[in-house]
Amino acid sequence: MELLLILLAIVVAGVAIAKVLKARELVDALKDPKSEPISSSEIRTNALGWLIFGIVLFVMAIVQMIVFDKYLLPSAASVHGKDIDDLMRITMILIMSVFFLTQGLLFWFGFKYYFKPGKKAFWFPHDNKLELAWTVVPAVVLILLVTYGMSTWDDIMNPKEEPDMKIEFVSEQFGWTTRYAGADSTLGEASFALYGKNAVGIATKNAINERLAECMNVNTTVISVSNKSVSNDIVTLTGINFYKNEILGMNVPMTVSLSKIAFDNAVILSKGRGFDGTSKLIVKGFVIDSLNLEHEISLGWNKGAKLDKVESSIKNYTANVLRLKRMLKDYKIDPTKYDFGKDDIVINDNNIKLPKGKTIQLQFRSKDVIHSAYFPHFRAQMNCVPGMKTNFTFTPNETSEEFQAKTIKEGKVYLEVIRDENTGDVISSVEKLGSTGYILLCNKVCGSSHFNMKVFIDVVEQDEFDSWIASQKTFE
Amino acid sequence: MGGHHHETFISKYIFSMDHKIIGKQFLITAIFMAVIGMAMSILFRIQLAWPGEGFAFLNFFLGDKWAPEGVLDPNMYLALVTIHGTIIVFFVLTGGLSGTFSNLLIPYQIGARDMASGFMNMLSYWLFFVSSVVMVYSVFVESGAASGGWTVYPPLSALPQAMEGSGLGMTLWLVSMTIFIASSLIGSLNYIVTVVNLRTKGMTMVRLPLTIWCFFITAVLGVLSFPVLLSAALLLMFDRMLGTSFYLDSIFIGGEPLEATGGSPILYEHLFWFLGHPEVYIILLPALGLVSEIISTNSRKPIFGYRAMILSVLAIAFLSFIVWGHHMFMTGMSPFLGTVFTFTTLLIAIPSAVKVFNYLATIWRGNLRLTPGMLFALGMVSLFISGGLTGLVLGDSALDINVHDTYFVVAHFHIVMGAGAIFGMFAGVYHWFPRMYGRLMNSNLGYLHFWVTFIGVYGVFFPMHFVGLAGVPRRYYSNLDFEMFNDIQFINVIITGFAILSSFGQFVFIFNFFYSVFRGKKSVQNPWKSNTLEWTAPIERIHGNWPGELPTVHRWPYDYSKPGYEEDFVLQNVPLKNGEHDGH
Repeated sequence: MELLLILLAIVVAGVAIAKVLKARELVDALKDPKSEPISSSEIRTNALGWLIFGIVLFVMAIVQMIVFDKYLLPSAASVHGKDIDDLMRITMILIMSVFFLTQGLLFWFGFKYYFKPGKKAFWFPHDNKLELAWTVVPAVVLILLVTYGMSTWDDIMNPKEEPDMKIEFVSEQFGWTTRYAGADSTLGEASFALYGKNAVGIATKNAINERLAECMNVNTTVISVSNKSVSNDIVTLTGINFYKNEILGMNVPMTVSLSKIAFDNAVILSKGRGFDGTSKLIVKGFVIDSLNLEHEISLGWNKGAKLDKVESSIKNYTANVLRLKRMLKDYKIDPTKYDFGKDDIVINDNNIKLPKGKTIQLQFRSKDVIHSAYFPHFRAQMNCVPGMKTNFTFTPNETSEEFQAKTIKEGKVYLEVIRDENTGDVISSVEKLGSTGYILLCNKVCGSSHFNMKVFIDVVEQDEFDSWIASQKTFE
Repeated sequence: MGGHHHETFISKYIFSMDHKIIGKQFLITAIFMAVIGMAMSILFRIQLAWPGEGFAFLNFFLGDKWAPEGVLDPNMYLALVTIHGTIIVFFVLTGGLSGTFSNLLIPYQIGARDMASGFMNMLSYWLFFVSSVVMVYSVFVESGAASGGWTVYPPLSALPQAMEGSGLGMTLWLVSMTIFIASSLIGSLNYIVTVVNLRTKGMTMVRLPLTIWCFFITAVLGVLSFPVLLSAALLLMFDRMLGTSFYLDSIFIGGEPLEATGGSPILYEHLFWFLGHPEVYIILLPALGLVSEIISTNSRKPIFGYRAMILSVLAIAFLSFIVWGHHMFMTGMSPFLGTVFTFTTLLIAIPSAVKVFNYLATIWRGNLRLTPGMLFALGMVSLFISGGLTGLVLGDSALDINVHDTYFVVAHFHIVMGAGAIFGMFAGVYHWFPRMYGRLMNSNLGYLHFWVTFIGVYGVFFPMHFVGLAGVPRRYYSNLDFEMFNDIQFINVIITGFAILSSFGQFVFIFNFFYSVFRGKKSVQNPWKSNTLEWTAPIERIHGNWPGELPTVHRWPYDYSKPGYEEDFVLQNVPLKNGEHDGH
């Protein structure tokens, strides 16, 4: 009802405005039947508006640069970051000069040369010297800028020295896992075939065998589901026989009743890390999404999309078993490369430490979709792409404490928000000097919780780092 | 040509083959799509300004699934961001801008009776219409619209289990885009053929108005780049439906390692941006073309450096094909490629700078008739400068490391190609409205619309640069989940405030538009005292544009305030006087 009234009001207002406009136009037409579409006084008013807008734009640009400065990122906390900051400063000076110059001319000319009846514009169709000047000058400036930029980029992306240490970040929906190379300074072999309980998929002989066993689903606890309506509903899954093969080591008879699989051989293999925390069921080597198993069965999941899901699971796991078996064969040929992973340290936590002053080669992988590892304070960023290893090398050169002190000196602020413990309402928020610390965040849209993938980074002195890393468990 | 058969309502207004009607059809469809795109932006801007706060009207419009208790759902947020981008980039600024003005102006300004193929022209519009319907419909499917951002990178967009929006919504997105690409290609081919073949007597290529040059080059860009997007979309469909793996490798999702291996998401990114970057100029060049014409006409001065303008458009068009990699500096692409793309990208700044200086020289010592159209044109130049300059930061790979995918990028491209092109489009609508409908738009409402929009655009996008420089990534559902971004939240509120303000301003335009179509002041044949041929045609809409003979062209289109003439304009079909040289 209210909505109707609002709509009605809008329509009435529209009609009223239309009537007023028409009346004004008729009056104007009576006053001066040969009138121009736009009158001189309108032009004068808007020319003045144009000039004022230009002035306000300039004032606001300067005000914003001053007022917002304390909220911007503090100066870089890495070696290469200083070069980026220098390049940024020069670029910004150039940009702002050109901004004020060209916008200044635009707003000034727009005002100064507004229409006056009887005046004739200056005939000035072209001027080769002028045109040459404003082609050559930007060209020269830009080539200088681009040369500077390209050399900075080259220094950052192609570091000449060997890194002191290697760290890997593996991204997934929606979180990060960190792996340190351990005592041998080498990140061991890893493959997506091993993801599961093995968070970054490190491939050692034991891990491969374990994963193989998992995929082939041997010796597992039987869960019993008692549901009469289901047990009466014996559904035969004839299509499944097609997948009976040696690779899986399954012994599935030609026709098997679905309920039999589900009741006698179903096992809870692992708790999914999904958003809703539901478990996944593995039935004879294939996974069934079991939000509500009984419900699914009663709906008859040998049909349509549900059977597709089972079939695709079987395909996926069949392929994975092959993959793992191939890795075992490869192990027989070249066992050493599968040893590097043993001393790797996997940190499945949102807090990690890095040593100050060490050149760190970061390696990125992704489990599922593209993510991007963004370290704003270090001026470092690289996408994490499934199927690829990407790299970024940098040297943090301020401990978290030093960084905090510097941030205060630079006058940067953060907002301290105090919330009521029970209601979560904001009690007070105070602007304080300093920073909330180093962080890693995701910078490529990856799904519903894209905005919430974080790792807090603590940069510490070498000895503190050594004792921290020593207290972490190695992979094997 | 000029068949005088009986016209029914359907053949005249619905399945019309007349370029003037088709132009209007594109325009009105684009206005509808723009309103949808704008409304979406307001919804997600509200979430960004006041994350987690409930608004009853959100619940009213979106229902319990997408806005429980009036709080926007994260999946819906991403869907809105995605469809907002898709609609504005493709349906408003590609289909709407080129579709409207290429159709309206190409035959008029080159002195042709219609497009080379009226039927293909009609087909182009109706395919555009169907694709618009499919795209809007995709918002209403149960699992939600495509949500992977307007670039829809796989694997996110390829795997329905990766997010809700990658289900049916994504399929419809791909279907819609495939139809859209077909529409765009048919339209572009028609524009190219028309410009090449149907110019009237005397209309040499260097007597073409800059609008036509820009539409022509835009059409060439479209024909060369859209097929690449089509192949990218088809391969993505294959990955989704046929179990291929062009873009998939080593993926573990939903607790399962996928069978598909051997593809690469980077391949998609290359294919996408091979269209994606020229697309920026497919959007921008028509706007620059319209603005060139409007600025010259309303300055009562020839456009400065006509030939330099043509050359810079050609240079921009050529370079636009070899810069796509600057969208991919951070993808893990070879750093050497990054170096190459940095170089080519910054080269594009040179012709762009030439264009800006030429505009400044055009208005210098002019006699500026500040109509609403002219103000929008000058506003477009201002936005082109502001947005173009930040491109120097983003195009420089070393600097891109820290601003890539942050709000700095969002501010940059919204100013230069979003608002910039929209301003060009508004300028065109105000300027050519008399040509379309024989009436003038109300100037007071026009001025009101301009000022609200201009203030709104700078109010929204200037502060947004600082949000980006504070390190806030784009496409975040809430900026408050990281403590470090708490302090800039008030900037988000300011931005949303200006966004709401300028969205109200657009209703002034829509009112003015539809009011003026029916009730606006009647226009004379050549209200702006312009030189180009469309103003020599009678103000009534007739088949074949000119009764009798087509006009013959004797001079370039920019003889404004030419010495030796009493009036400050000389129409293109006026013969040269004895001893007079053609313009430039």
